[in-house]
Amino acid sequence: MSDLIRAELLKLRTTRVPYGLLGAALALTVLGVVGTILTAGRDGAPPIESTEAIRNVLGAGGTATIFTLVLGILVVTGEFRHGTITQTFLVAPIRSRVVKAKLVAVLAAGFAFGALASLVTAVVSVPWLAAKDVSVSLLSADVAVPVLAVVASAALFGVIGVGVGALIRNQVAAIVVALLWQFVLESIVVGLLPDVGKWLPQGAARALAEETLADGNLLPPWAGGLVLLAYGAAFALIGTRLLVQRDVT
Amino acid sequence: MGVISVQGLTKRFGAVVAVDALSFEVDTGSVTGFLGPNGAGKTTTLRILLGLVKPTAGRATILGQPYVELTHPSRRVGAVLEASGHHPARRAVDHLRIAAVGAGLPPERAESALAAVGLEAAADRRVGGFSLGMRQRLGLAGALLGDPGVLILDEPANGLDPEGIHWLRGFLRSFADRGGTVLVSSHVLSEVAQTVDRVVIIARGRLVAAATLDELVDRTAVAAVQVRSEEAERLQEALTAGGAGIHHVDGDLVVVTGTTAKAVGRIAAATGIPIYEMTSDRANLEEVFLELTSSGGERP
Repeated sequence: MSDLIRAELLKLRTTRVPYGLLGAALALTVLGVVGTILTAGRDGAPPIESTEAIRNVLGAGGTATIFTLVLGILVVTGEFRHGTITQTFLVAPIRSRVVKAKLVAVLAAGFAFGALASLVTAVVSVPWLAAKDVSVSLLSADVAVPVLAVVASAALFGVIGVGVGALIRNQVAAIVVALLWQFVLESIVVGLLPDVGKWLPQGAARALAEETLADGNLLPPWAGGLVLLAYGAAFALIGTRLLVQRDVT
Repeated sequence: MGVISVQGLTKRFGAVVAVDALSFEVDTGSVTGFLGPNGAGKTTTLRILLGLVKPTAGRATILGQPYVELTHPSRRVGAVLEASGHHPARRAVDHLRIAAVGAGLPPERAESALAAVGLEAAADRRVGGFSLGMRQRLGLAGALLGDPGVLILDEPANGLDPEGIHWLRGFLRSFADRGGTVLVSSHVLSEVAQTVDRVVIIARGRLVAAATLDELVDRTAVAAVQVRSEEAERLQEALTAGGAGIHHVDGDLVVVTGTTAKAVGRIAAATGIPIYEMTSDRANLEEVFLELTSSGGERP
């Protein structure tokens, strides 16, 4: 099992795609931090010295979830697109082990994405906030909660991505569906049916991060965490079932 | 039971029967050609053998077990299934390291496997820039990582230049001579005729022949043998007496039909006629193959 996990981590390290995704995630995180700080206190946004504003700044790394979702999808669909799944299953014919190794590798990569996004967030925001006379204690709950939420969400969205990739093995289709969901469909559901929307993956991730929405319609943080965990487990299970059963032709 | 054993194997994809009650065995220390026209079910059979496709019925085992139940499969069976199984942006050596690490083998095996197929100079190049022939060699390097005793190759000659095909023949021959077992598929008999000990021929998913090449030639009445002898006239008489038909005689060349090289050799030896060249007509071997595969699937 550990051999397979090492092989999956080696797969991630030996193409440029994961590095590109990481770079994009960190760049968008920096943009998020800058945007949140610059708009704080304007147009109804909470003032910079408020707990809400600080949480929103420190939660900017949540944007990494998009990229870990895509990474999870690529880890599965890339094998089918390039035909490497044949070699993978020849090396490890008990396929559930391959899926488990992929889940562990993506979970680890997701943690790394989330941790680096949080680090970048801290490096940009802490001195800037200090300059605005807003002191942020790195050990306080106001900081720890959004940072942990970013790390956990990034990892769990990677797991969801593995499940989506197993469900839709066509790489382009899987990514289009996932991004459409992330950027369009979930917002529509949230807009029309907020009571349903808060149970969806992004809503759960936001709840976990104790973000504040204008209408305040989110689950409690612990429930958000559990819902997100449930999504991860469900997608991991679906992914395993599908990859074990299907013929590889 | 053979090293590779296929028993009553059937695979249906919806209404299409890709493999139909197929049975054959492959012995140790031999090269067996797995032949049939495109779409005959060769690839499906090999994929079932390797646990990638589940059979509708029947059983396929390697070393007495289904592939999925083998412990350390990479150390017992090496397989090359398609030339496209590589991530184009990955370096050749990394491609092999991933397989080695996953199989619990030392990563340095990647370098030695590349050397074994003559690709050591391309180790650090991205696979996307490889020619088809280089990719075939890389696939073979992957199959050799675990130093297995059994090789299963699906159309390995595709994309190889004549030099590459020559190299592959020598490679498979020496692998089998060292006690290894090879099952190699092809849709062209002549491609493997010089390498294989036996052939398993299928058409439309069904077995049509499992025999040595000689047995295959013996089956056909139209097989022609060309013999050169300084005593062509005497040889002709001896052969005719032995029941063979003489196609024509031209100088020292006698073209005999309705017999086999083996029989001609025996008659020549028995009558003390020296012969200095004898060839079975390979075109006829190809005819046998075409005849078998075109009629073989027609049976109800």
